[in-house]
Amino acid sequence: MIELTNVTKQYQSLTAVDNVSFSVRNGECFALLGPNGAGKTTIVKMLLDFTRPTSGSLSLNGLPSTDAECRRSIGYLAENHHIPSTLSGWHYLLRCAELLDMGKSDAIDECRRIVELIGMQGREHAQTGTYSKGMIQRFGLGAALMGDPKLLILDEPTSGLDPIGIREIRQLLESLKCRGMTIFLNSHLLSEVEKICDTAAIISNGKLLVKDAISAIVKDGETLEDVFIRLVRG
Amino acid sequence: METSRMLPPITRITKYTIIDEVRHKSFVIMFVFCAICVFLVRGCSQGNYMVNGQYLDAGTVVRTLSKVTFHVIGAGVMVIAALLSMRIFRRDRNEGMQSCILSKPIARWQYVMGKITGLWALSVLFMFILHGIVFLITSIDLKVFMPAYLVASLLCSVNLLFVVVTMLFLSLLMSDIVAFLCVLGVGVVGFVADGIAAASHSQIAAMFMQQSGSQANSSLSWWKIVYFLWPKLLGVQQLAASLFEGESFNGLGRIYPLINIVLYCLIFGALLFRRFRSEDIV
Repeated sequence: MIELTNVTKQYQSLTAVDNVSFSVRNGECFALLGPNGAGKTTIVKMLLDFTRPTSGSLSLNGLPSTDAECRRSIGYLAENHHIPSTLSGWHYLLRCAELLDMGKSDAIDECRRIVELIGMQGREHAQTGTYSKGMIQRFGLGAALMGDPKLLILDEPTSGLDPIGIREIRQLLESLKCRGMTIFLNSHLLSEVEKICDTAAIISNGKLLVKDAISAIVKDGETLEDVFIRLVRG
Repeated sequence: METSRMLPPITRITKYTIIDEVRHKSFVIMFVFCAICVFLVRGCSQGNYMVNGQYLDAGTVVRTLSKVTFHVIGAGVMVIAALLSMRIFRRDRNEGMQSCILSKPIARWQYVMGKITGLWALSVLFMFILHGIVFLITSIDLKVFMPAYLVASLLCSVNLLFVVVTMLFLSLLMSDIVAFLCVLGVGVVGFVADGIAAASHSQIAAMFMQQSGSQANSSLSWWKIVYFLWPKLLGVQQLAASLFEGESFNGLGRIYPLINIVLYCLIFGALLFRRFRSEDIV
């Protein structure tokens, strides 16, 4: 589903991603972990063709990431998600549905389904200015789930959410995983990753330190957090 | 990719661009203010004007006033189109719409094309309505019917395309306000240069040059080349105005400004698409 081959990204003298290669299979729930500035978001941006790699190649669903068609079955939630101040949550979702080539009535039905899924019934027509950060994040997740994508790319999905919100998102991701959706997760919440994901990769300073099943990475008597700190600190 | 699959994203982005702009209060205020100003010009056509001791007839007054209003609206809407275009990429980036749109199966060129057509359509509509108000005032109130006035308005839309494309391209290279000042500078220099050129070809200027004994320099100099190549925004407006002034078509030289602006649109359009292709989406 996702394939990175010798990917390097340089910003002038800074190497944000250094010769990284890994793959994520269909139906896998994968976590990309790393400290701030490790290069996680850069990898996500390269997957979505928001930025081009200096060298190497990325492919999604067998198509190069530069081909817009490869994004047809992808849902994406950005870190620090925003909704335009002139739109309500409903109009934002409707716009996202229309951008996926849905007709008007299909788009409305899909928006109703999504509003229910993210638990925002009754608040969907309020102006964005009245939403909390957590509510904006929910609408962002809703937009990512629009059209039932095969691959979900989430960059810090629980950012700004309270513990109840985090739990709800986790439960939602678990149900999506059970339905066979491939999930690519960027997160700092290692305890949540440990509960949801099957495989993980840890990167630091742009270099891939490990990529394996979580059960193989975490040894007996350790937590994912212990492994993460041990690997990142070298 | 099939054309039928390529067009819907562009039309949708065009629609969203127009809706987002119209939803802003500043746009509505700007439009209402401009419409009121155009209505106020109506009063100017009801006075008596004397030139060289002779009163001008009502038809001449209305035609002259319509021509002046035509040019003022044309130039004014160009400034408004630049103001609308200057912040479009930044706003989309800050509000997360750029990443939202481009994370869907939409190519970058489709996004840019949607933005261009949205801004262009909106500014053309803005100008057409203002010109339409002048047309209705002259037709209904002053009984001077000039259907070519509206055709001329549409011809001026080429200038708006130039402003939109240039503004979008420059806003990727520099800060919005500097890009706006650059576009404004191009327009002002072009208008002033065309004005000087028109004045230098007038009978008064020829008489003055004869009296002072100077001769027109026919040799090719660098400023003549710059003047020739400079965006001919006023030239397009004059060409458009000639449609309702009833001037005869005399040679290809008259449509040179149109060719000039269309070529600039193509060049800046190509540069814009090329630049945006390598742009990092935040």
